[in-house]
Amino acid sequence: MNAAWLPLTALATSLLVAVTIFALPEEARRLRTTINIGAAVVKIILVTLMVRRVAAGHEDIFSFQVIGGLDFVLRIDALGVMFAGLSSLLWLCTTIYAIGYLEGSANRKRFFGFFSLCVASTIGIALADNLFTFLIFYEMLTLSTYPLVVHRGTEQALNAGRVYLRYTLSAGVVLLLGAVLLNNLTGDQSFSSEEGLGDYLNDHRGLLTLIFILLVSGLAVKAAMVPLHGWLPRAMVAPAPVSALLHAVAVVKAGAFGILRVVYDLYGIELSVELGVITGLAVAASITIIYGSLRAIAQQELKPLLAFSTVSQVSYVILGIGIFGPFGTVGALAHLLHQGLMKVTLFFCAGNYAEELGIHRIDEMDGAGKRMPLTSIAFTIGALGMIGLPPVAGFITKWYLGVGAIQAEMYWVVAVLVASSTLNAMYFLPILHRLWFRPGPSHGKGSWPHEQRLGRLETHGWLLWPMVFTALISLGAGLFAGLPYSPLDWAARVASGEYLP
Amino acid sequence: MITLLLALALLWPFGVMGHAVWLAYRAPEAQRDYFSVLWLSAAWPALLLAYVGEAQWTMDAWMLGGEWELNSLSRPWLAFTALLWSLAAVHARGYFAAEQAQAQRGDQDAQRRLLRLALLWPLTLLGNVLLIIAQDIASFYLGFAVMTFAAYALVVHTGTQEARLGAKAYLILAVLGEGLILGGFLWSAGAADTLMLQGVRESIVSAEHGAWMAALLCLGFGVKAGVIGLHVWLPLAHPAAPAPASAVLSGVMIKAGLLGWISVLPLSHAQVSGALAQFGHWMLVAGLAAAFAAAVYGVFQRHPKAVLAYSSISQMGMMTALVAMGLVAPDVWPLLWPGLVLFAAHHALAKGSLFMGTSISEHLPRWPQPLVWALLALPGISLAGAIGAGMVSKWGVKAPLYEMHHESLIKLLSWAAVGTAALVSAALWRQWQQRHQGGSNREQWGAWLVAVIAALLTPLWLPLPAGSIEMPPLKEWLGIMWPFPVGVLFAAVGWLLTRPLTGKTLPAGDLWGFYAFVVGAVLVPIRAFGHCCGRLKSASVITAQKAEETLMGHLTRLLSGESWLRHHTSGLMMMLAVLLAALLMWEGQR
Repeated sequence: MNAAWLPLTALATSLLVAVTIFALPEEARRLRTTINIGAAVVKIILVTLMVRRVAAGHEDIFSFQVIGGLDFVLRIDALGVMFAGLSSLLWLCTTIYAIGYLEGSANRKRFFGFFSLCVASTIGIALADNLFTFLIFYEMLTLSTYPLVVHRGTEQALNAGRVYLRYTLSAGVVLLLGAVLLNNLTGDQSFSSEEGLGDYLNDHRGLLTLIFILLVSGLAVKAAMVPLHGWLPRAMVAPAPVSALLHAVAVVKAGAFGILRVVYDLYGIELSVELGVITGLAVAASITIIYGSLRAIAQQELKPLLAFSTVSQVSYVILGIGIFGPFGTVGALAHLLHQGLMKVTLFFCAGNYAEELGIHRIDEMDGAGKRMPLTSIAFTIGALGMIGLPPVAGFITKWYLGVGAIQAEMYWVVAVLVASSTLNAMYFLPILHRLWFRPGPSHGKGSWPHEQRLGRLETHGWLLWPMVFTALISLGAGLFAGLPYSPLDWAARVASGEYLP
Repeated sequence: MITLLLALALLWPFGVMGHAVWLAYRAPEAQRDYFSVLWLSAAWPALLLAYVGEAQWTMDAWMLGGEWELNSLSRPWLAFTALLWSLAAVHARGYFAAEQAQAQRGDQDAQRRLLRLALLWPLTLLGNVLLIIAQDIASFYLGFAVMTFAAYALVVHTGTQEARLGAKAYLILAVLGEGLILGGFLWSAGAADTLMLQGVRESIVSAEHGAWMAALLCLGFGVKAGVIGLHVWLPLAHPAAPAPASAVLSGVMIKAGLLGWISVLPLSHAQVSGALAQFGHWMLVAGLAAAFAAAVYGVFQRHPKAVLAYSSISQMGMMTALVAMGLVAPDVWPLLWPGLVLFAAHHALAKGSLFMGTSISEHLPRWPQPLVWALLALPGISLAGAIGAGMVSKWGVKAPLYEMHHESLIKLLSWAAVGTAALVSAALWRQWQQRHQGGSNREQWGAWLVAVIAALLTPLWLPLPAGSIEMPPLKEWLGIMWPFPVGVLFAAVGWLLTRPLTGKTLPAGDLWGFYAFVVGAVLVPIRAFGHCCGRLKSASVITAQKAEETLMGHLTRLLSGESWLRHHTSGLMMMLAVLLAALLMWEGQR
């Protein structure tokens, strides 16, 4: 039974919310909050439904013809549900967080409207079944995030927004070029087709490689791979919930997810190996991983440090794609989720420090563990996960990537993983040391840059609980990775679909 | 029942931590007892667990698949580990009594330090217990990492300059070690597609590069075990850490490295490859080198705890050599391992009581002085093998080596014991020089006394397989005991010879200075390169911006041309039409 309404409803929940919010007046705070949270909960229920249907082996498709030979298709498959699940879970957390974060500030209507639009785009990206549909939502994402990046409206924010648009729009053009070339060559190519592009290999080897390079380099801008990462650290001027969303699920992940789609569903893993492109992908990812970590070490401020850490961490996903074999794929897919959970936690923490204590620089964090224990514990969990220490989820991915690399006989990847773990330790451990081991303003030494007492607990409850929740999930995803429906379990399910006929 | 006890052993430390947090936030300042009976009990369920019996647990939901076991190896290991943790906790209650009083009077700094210790002590213990029972890689690595990183708080406790240096050295080497272990585990587990330590052992035997996997893992665990070259954190961290922390650090935590080796190396495996046997030889040499070099360097240290740290390095060197025998001569291992476990257990308790003893000699109780100093010396004498459990454990490793005819190794180990004797006498001498009267309380000397007694009677309470350990026959006693007087003599002669040089001592942490220098020297060109890249980047950004500006300038000028075009549209169109017509006509003519 085809439940065509399911993908459409999932998409429509966020889209309708966006429209409703734009229609509401700015002052209707309570109604807007209710609609936002209600829709996010509905979305989670819908995704749960999708998960159950995919697990039961159903494939729900919604499609209509746009023009001859070009269809708009939404389809629910295991990989898409994975991304949609991440997106909807973090949408709820980030929305709650953003409501607390933006309390009393101006232009909240615009913010939440585009926020919902942005999430709608990610759902579209997750469920898109061909390159055409994917492109529509991909570009919609670009445009809907711009107002979020420049939300503060300062000179710096506008500059960052300009850089962001330059990068992403030119990348969009490159991507479009690739898509058009591919469409000329093969016609409408569904992500779900079994045979991939293998038939064209003999006659169009060069063209296929060219298209691959165009597509991937277009996607790599959003995935922030070196040297196309320049926009990401600049976009840090955005408010904390935007950074969290940008880094954990929306923009950066959309790029990585697009590369996943291109390699696994469009080209097919065998063809990619045949073309020799995935080794190139692995090398580029390794360079990004090391470069991002090195740059992160040199940062003085917390958010740019996290941004460079994202540059490095997202490339783990790409690295996993570059490792041929089920383990590499499982690592890549699991990291798509794990990194999202851990990074969103870290950004929530950074936002809390900035809101409650006015901390922006790393050297202002001395002794913050005493003043904000829950935030600091969450930060510690996220940081340890980024380093790849058990029991946080990051360890699970690192393990799968490493084992996959060994089985694909790419021994240098293990060296990259170990080096990157060590580098991550080099920039996260000093922060943890500052948080917990150095005396600071809460021990009567100096004062916080700009302290506010936002709530009865260490900070406002709306800011606190989403962060605690994501931190617990990141811990649980590592500690109980063997449970059914854990990120690892679902990733293994997707991977077995890719490798087993 | 036993499963319940296991759950209790692992969850109890969390409860203890929760209580510490509750204290810090809810209890009034003057009533905060950071070292309450509840806190002292953190290791008791684990201790009980070791004596209940053998058991096995499998949990699929746990990380990558959990497999825990209490077997003939992990039971004695857990027993001595949990015992020393319990005793050190009691000792800590006495040791920190003054600081606690300070905290109760409202000293914020003392409160902060004690809360940190009260929280991370049980966490370190938890990691240690987990790594002992773990049979799967993920749990083992988890336990190891938790223990390693939580122990940072134990080392850095006082927050002085020395403590920070020691803790820094500890942490840097620990991160390095974690990286090496991760690499080794990934390599060996990936090659054999396994998630269990058993699989790692098989993988190292069968894989082509087994020796390299073994080397990575051994170096990684070697950081903990104080393998020569990676040992520099020990003499830096121990003198700076509080006595009970040093006791567990040197007593049981460095044994985790040893357990790591035993868990991953294919000891007693008959078909080890040539390369692996070769690696075993290297390990043997490294172990013996550490045993001797640490003894020679250590006797010249000024701080008694630094001397004891070098003694630990030396002792671990001997154990390294014994583990290496499992690779070099596989058939000896089944006989050797109970002796090695007894050796490790005895060293744990003896070294623990020696470290606790340093706090006794700094606060001498009002007992007859000869009695106190005799008690302080006892674990050292036992460590050198002259009395009690030391003698039994020496025989426990010697007998199998005799049986398999490794006389030269026995001779070398005996000479290493001379080094041990010299070190413990040097430590006692330094303690004597730096003694202070008064101040030690009941918990402090109580725990210490129990540790001394437990160290001397180790074979009686250690749950080793029945019949695996015997008393040495009477005719062998001389062969076991001679190193002690010779070592004391050596120490005395060395002291006499170096007397003119008083005031000059070798720095603790020997190679640390050298490493720091090398890293600093390597960083200089890297920094220069980084600056160079930075300049190159900013230069190219500026060039690109200039190029863009020029381009935009041209474009703007083109745009201004547009208005001119618009102004003359009709004329230009006319001209174009005429031109086209002319072209067509010319085409028609041809």
